[in-house]
Amino acid sequence: MDFPPAEIGLSPPTVRPEGPVRVAPGFAVRLEGVSKSFGDFRAVSDLDLEVPRGTVYGLLGPNGSGKTTTIRMIMGILGPDRGRVRLFGDDPGRTRRERVGYLPEERGLYRKMKVRDHLVFLARLRGISRPTATKRASEWLERLDLGAWSHRRVEDLSKGMQQKVQFVGTVLHEPELLVLDEPFSGLDPINQDLLEAIVREFHGRGTTILFSTHLMDQAERLCQRVCLISRSRKVLDGDLQGLKRAQRMGVVAVDFQGPADWAQGADVEGVEETPTGLRLRLRPGADSQGVLARAVGSGARITRFQEVEPRLHEIFVRHTGDPGPDSP
Amino acid sequence: MSALSTVVGREYFTRVRSKPFVIGTLLAPLLFMGFLALSAWLGTRAADAELRIGVVDRTGELAATLIPRLAEMGFRVEVLAAEEVGDPLEAGAPPLDRVAAGELRGVLVVDEETLRNGRAVWWGEEGPSAFRRVTLQQAVGQAALEHRFRGEAEAGMVSLLAGGSLEVVFVGEESDPTRDLAGVVLGVAGAFILYFALLVYGAMVLRSVLEEKTGRIVEVILSSVRPWELMLGKILGVGAVGLTQLLIWVVFGALLLTLGAAALLPLVAETGILDQVPVFLPGWGLVVFFLICFFLGYFIYASIFAAVGAMCSTEEEAQQLQLPVVMVVLVPFLFLLPVLEDPESRLATVLSLFPLFSPILMFARVAVDAAPPWQAGISVVGMVGALAVVAWVAGRIYRVGILMQGKRPTLPELWRWVREG
Repeated sequence: MDFPPAEIGLSPPTVRPEGPVRVAPGFAVRLEGVSKSFGDFRAVSDLDLEVPRGTVYGLLGPNGSGKTTTIRMIMGILGPDRGRVRLFGDDPGRTRRERVGYLPEERGLYRKMKVRDHLVFLARLRGISRPTATKRASEWLERLDLGAWSHRRVEDLSKGMQQKVQFVGTVLHEPELLVLDEPFSGLDPINQDLLEAIVREFHGRGTTILFSTHLMDQAERLCQRVCLISRSRKVLDGDLQGLKRAQRMGVVAVDFQGPADWAQGADVEGVEETPTGLRLRLRPGADSQGVLARAVGSGARITRFQEVEPRLHEIFVRHTGDPGPDSP
Repeated sequence: MSALSTVVGREYFTRVRSKPFVIGTLLAPLLFMGFLALSAWLGTRAADAELRIGVVDRTGELAATLIPRLAEMGFRVEVLAAEEVGDPLEAGAPPLDRVAAGELRGVLVVDEETLRNGRAVWWGEEGPSAFRRVTLQQAVGQAALEHRFRGEAEAGMVSLLAGGSLEVVFVGEESDPTRDLAGVVLGVAGAFILYFALLVYGAMVLRSVLEEKTGRIVEVILSSVRPWELMLGKILGVGAVGLTQLLIWVVFGALLLTLGAAALLPLVAETGILDQVPVFLPGWGLVVFFLICFFLGYFIYASIFAAVGAMCSTEEEAQQLQLPVVMVVLVPFLFLLPVLEDPESRLATVLSLFPLFSPILMFARVAVDAAPPWQAGISVVGMVGALAVVAWVAGRIYRVGILMQGKRPTLPELWRWVREG
């Protein structure tokens, strides 16, 4: 997938790969039959997951479906009850510290620390030497227009600035794998764009990016591969374009004038209004021709009747029978 | 650079460089010294005014024996010539004008009657305080007696008139009262410092854990540091802060004492107090035992405080939940004086061998030389054992707790954390 160039003037401070990036083959993350329970509550059941190196991978599902628990197991914050987590084809061990960057869903910084000192601290935890960490932190802060705030305390910064500092802390050690848990939630629009630009930039350098979200639209724009999970179990995973093609049957866009009552029927599962007409989600196995016949018979004037690629949200709903988190 | 040392470094330097630390560390001894100086100054000022008196000797003989006695009792005496003295009942007459002006507290008048029966007259706007009244009466009475026995007076007479003296002979074990006093002073001071350190620095660990948890910082850190490293790093960092603070105070105190002693040396040297100073310095053995108690006690309580911090989600919860721990530290502190009063009693022995109380009570008993070495040894073994158990349990609670938001765990839940942690 080709990303458009970053829109907010971000350019990498250090290496800028010329031409297409060569990515080593293999998987950055691989889960094999991983399960985790808390008391009687099953958070993740028997999950297999493969994130090829160099991809942007979306872990999708409604709140409470097990995304955060999965990510915490990948990050080694929780241990799985059963199954195995491998990073870069190996046991995670200490390499996780140096090769992975992590932005948890719950974000926070030490309020009393100075901004640059804080970044240096985070980088040093990741095994970067103090001089290198200081240099990189200064560069990043300059780039994000936070240079003047380097020696101020975190608590003096606005919430938006703190969010920027948090991103910088995640990538300062130039990780090969970025794990972002609900990275766009709680961000103001400017920072959403900034984070998206950072994600694209790192993808351009060959970094693997795994992020969770319950916002299907966001995932659709960013991801090459996705994994849908619901109620602790994997529903579907694979290449996003392939999934959409495979799931093509069943979504119809209709532009028309006249009555709309024909859209109700046993073969139609969901109806959504579009600016020019309706978007219908048919029940599995239903024939779109039946709907077309009914529409014509009702006297509506049909200007377009087209089977279209389903949206991720529609695929998700179809496979879980769950109205999904995006539904009104 | 290991993650552990990075955690320790952050914990230490952000604290030591913080304004509260710098101000607190410098201000505490200054406040303490200021308080001492102020109360001393107020004391001498009051005493000075109280003690400045005039004496009128109408006998022309008694002053010779009376003045030295009054001086010995601390009065600052001005002898007034009898001729200058007017009628005390006439306002403004000398020397009462000087009493009115506040220069003299009062005027003591002795005459022939004083020589006969010890009765003297006090002129003043107020009577002397009850305590001064007694010392004045004694001085006058003894001076009159000495005057009467003048001629047959020998060396012993003065002492006899002063009321004799009591020499105390201790039976049994050889004992040196100064040394005993020094032990008690060191025991109380050391136990107090330990009590202070366990509470203050322990609570600092709790605050620190809570800050990371409520500030949602902990998860980022846990992705590169194992929980035990984070907890240990925190405890080590805060412990180093505590040591730094204590060390600064010790140096500060020693400096002030030396400077103060140098300034007062000519005055103090005569009293012989300086000869006793070395007795009050702790021996190396005691210093080492203090450090053992400090470290083991601190590690035990800091682990407990860390676990408590990990269980809480809000400041209020933490305040409630730390109360039981504070109570446990308070127990040995409350028993400190009873234990020092009878340091070899069964109660003192049992309490000081209980590992959670040992850091304070065993130190106090060792300071007064009441604990045989084997007991001190057992207490150290006990503390090490307690530390192992506490650190293991606290580590497991910490590991689960810092990721839990929301309500405080119930006891069964806590047990599950420990089992499954």
